[in-house]
Amino acid sequence: MQKKILEFTNILRKSGIRVSTAEAIDSFQALEELSLDDREIFRDALRSTMVKRGEEVPTFDQLFDLFWSGFYDSLRESFGQATGGLAEMGMDLEQLLQQIMQMLQNMQGQEGGDLGELARALLTTDLSQLENLIRAAAEQAGVERIENFLQVGFFSRRTLEQMGVEGAMDELRNLADQLEQAGMSPEEIQALRSLIEGLMEAVRRSVRSFTERELQKQNHDYMEKFRRETLLEKSFYHLTEEEIRKMREVVERLAQRIKNVLSIRRRRLKRGKLDLHQTLRRNMSHGAIPFELVFKQRKKDRPKLVILTDVSSSVANVSRFMLQFVYTLQEAFTKIRAFVFVAELGEVTPLFQELDINKAIEEALEGGDVINVYTRSNFGYAFHHFWQNHLSAIDNKTTVLILGDARNNYNDPRAWCLRDIHNKAKNVVWLNPENPSAWGFGDSVMDKYLPYCDVAEEVRNLRQLSKVVDGLLL
Amino acid sequence: MFDSVDQVLEALEKQSYIADKNIATVVFLAHKLEKPVLIEGPAGVGKTELAKVVAAATGRPMIRLQCYEGLDEAKALYEWEYSKQLLYTQILKEKFTEAMAGAGSIRDAAERVGKEDSVFFSYNFIVPRPLLNAITSDDPSLLLIDEVDKSDPEFEAFLLEVLSDFQVTVPELGTIQAKQRPLVFLTSNNAREMSDALKRRCLHLYIDYPSEELESKILRTKVPDAAAGLVEDLVGMMQRLRELDLKKTPSISETLDWARALLALNASELDEDLVNQTFNVILKYEGDVRKAQAELDKLLQKKAGQAAAQAPAAAPQPAAATKKGALH
Repeated sequence: MQKKILEFTNILRKSGIRVSTAEAIDSFQALEELSLDDREIFRDALRSTMVKRGEEVPTFDQLFDLFWSGFYDSLRESFGQATGGLAEMGMDLEQLLQQIMQMLQNMQGQEGGDLGELARALLTTDLSQLENLIRAAAEQAGVERIENFLQVGFFSRRTLEQMGVEGAMDELRNLADQLEQAGMSPEEIQALRSLIEGLMEAVRRSVRSFTERELQKQNHDYMEKFRRETLLEKSFYHLTEEEIRKMREVVERLAQRIKNVLSIRRRRLKRGKLDLHQTLRRNMSHGAIPFELVFKQRKKDRPKLVILTDVSSSVANVSRFMLQFVYTLQEAFTKIRAFVFVAELGEVTPLFQELDINKAIEEALEGGDVINVYTRSNFGYAFHHFWQNHLSAIDNKTTVLILGDARNNYNDPRAWCLRDIHNKAKNVVWLNPENPSAWGFGDSVMDKYLPYCDVAEEVRNLRQLSKVVDGLLL
Repeated sequence: MFDSVDQVLEALEKQSYIADKNIATVVFLAHKLEKPVLIEGPAGVGKTELAKVVAAATGRPMIRLQCYEGLDEAKALYEWEYSKQLLYTQILKEKFTEAMAGAGSIRDAAERVGKEDSVFFSYNFIVPRPLLNAITSDDPSLLLIDEVDKSDPEFEAFLLEVLSDFQVTVPELGTIQAKQRPLVFLTSNNAREMSDALKRRCLHLYIDYPSEELESKILRTKVPDAAAGLVEDLVGMMQRLRELDLKKTPSISETLDWARALLALNASELDEDLVNQTFNVILKYEGDVRKAQAELDKLLQKKAGQAAAQAPAAAPQPAAATKKGALH
């Protein structure tokens, strides 16, 4: 049992659930206190000792079912079918078996009278013994190394060989022959023979299903890892609908983590000058002798943010996650104003005040009813428009965040607009989903804008995005 | 106290707390292994309530520590009672002079004062706060650390000593071991993820919104006067409401509030007007109310659909009668 639990712990770890040694020990102690008859209680005990995060519970439940499941159940099912055939022929299995056992005892010592472990387990359909035999053989055959579906056949065969199924079958067939000679009735012999074939089939099927389960177990961790890690690295350009949905969760979690870090950072900043008023007030009970000192809290320096987002289809995904990220973290900023553009520029800040984040983002990407998204990108025009109408939004505490690939379709870049923005703002950050080596080539005018950006970064995946946002807040 | 999981279930039910097996198993283990339990889950599913009923079921006094940002050791563990110490020095002034009488030098005097030091830093002058209370209590108690996610990370680190060894350290007095290990429940709304170190020391219990079956059982226990039809309508409606994308999903406590409100209005089943009037009992944001109202047809229609499916088989006549009534 201990071994099995350790094995299970390993599988949990592989799937990204962190189970410490102390927690594994806890689970042993927990199981000592409980009766193991109730599967549900057994699962709850393992879960409460090993899984400490709400979002890991579904993973645990899936793995639990795969691991502790019901291999025994499926074994019972296949063997039920095999022995069920007997009943159809009007034979009582119990009775037949008793008869055989009796005859076996009579034949003790004669050749063929002794049955091997497997053959005996098969004949008496001793399922738990069979399960043990299959598991042991599978281990010998190295089934845990299985990697893909094509290997199922190979490993099943090896497991069967390891078990010595053929040998056991021969033993059983011999037994049938001998019983025939010993004077068993022809119907019974026939029933026995068909039973033996049925058992053979059942064993094959069970081993196969065992191997498939093993594959699922191994795969599970592979898929989970894929889900968590590669999404961070995956380029925004190649996301499927499904991945966009999952990505939302990942962004959310990442933002949450940054929030946590922020609260710590800010607390470290807190200590400022001595606050005389507060110190006197606090120490009234000590006869105004200053035992406890109170310091003024340094004012939190939260940045103001103006976001200019290109929402043309080429960068829509980056914009989506950028907006989600920033708005999940909105309490970290004093004020956020968001503008979207393709060629025209429009403000979408109100959307975020009225709707919930995800809805607001989807509407903003559609142009938020203020701009036409079905034109060709024109950064120069958009910046000029901003310069004319919204330059007052920028002061020396404002960070301007521009998101776009700077592919200007050979229009006038009007870089002087950005220069003026740069002069007024605290800093200008440009996030470009393209690789820096492509900046300035073809219709990219990134090189014209570059002198007026304090930071220009390539942001092609979530990891890069979170790094930049983190840097903004520091 | 508890010998089996079923016994826990029974004891909780006696306190009219309807739990599933998962909850009972964790409570049982917490008691057997003497480990703290970290309870997580959405607001209003009965996290704090669980601690209360366990306290009641086991007859232990409950000591509650409500966490908030800025909570520190002085408010959670102990504080020196400065004014009392001061008062005592004033009262004992004469004694001091007496003790000092023979002292030849300042060094000698200081040493003598030093010897009496421990008088002023003893249990007499300590104001115990919840954590110290739980540890020094002579009877076994139940310590509830509520909304631990609201506290600061520093405080969390400080909790570790208490949770793993059930001991606290007061520099002047030394380390104090728990006389009786308290049962500890921590609740969290997940405003912030707790550190792995804390999680490792706790059993973990995640309480989710209850299943339809469990919810109606809870409702029947807590609001026994509600008609069976109303309970069924209510629970069905709540389950469907939770599927909507709401800012604040209504929880069990809202279901109970709603049931009581409807009972006060003498309602025996749900209809559109009634739901519209009482939506603000369960939905706490204007946006949510609007969203639910937009979906109201669907929420009720499902019910109507079920009713229509059952009605012909069960009672075709009343249905016909109401139709006739409508004609007049």
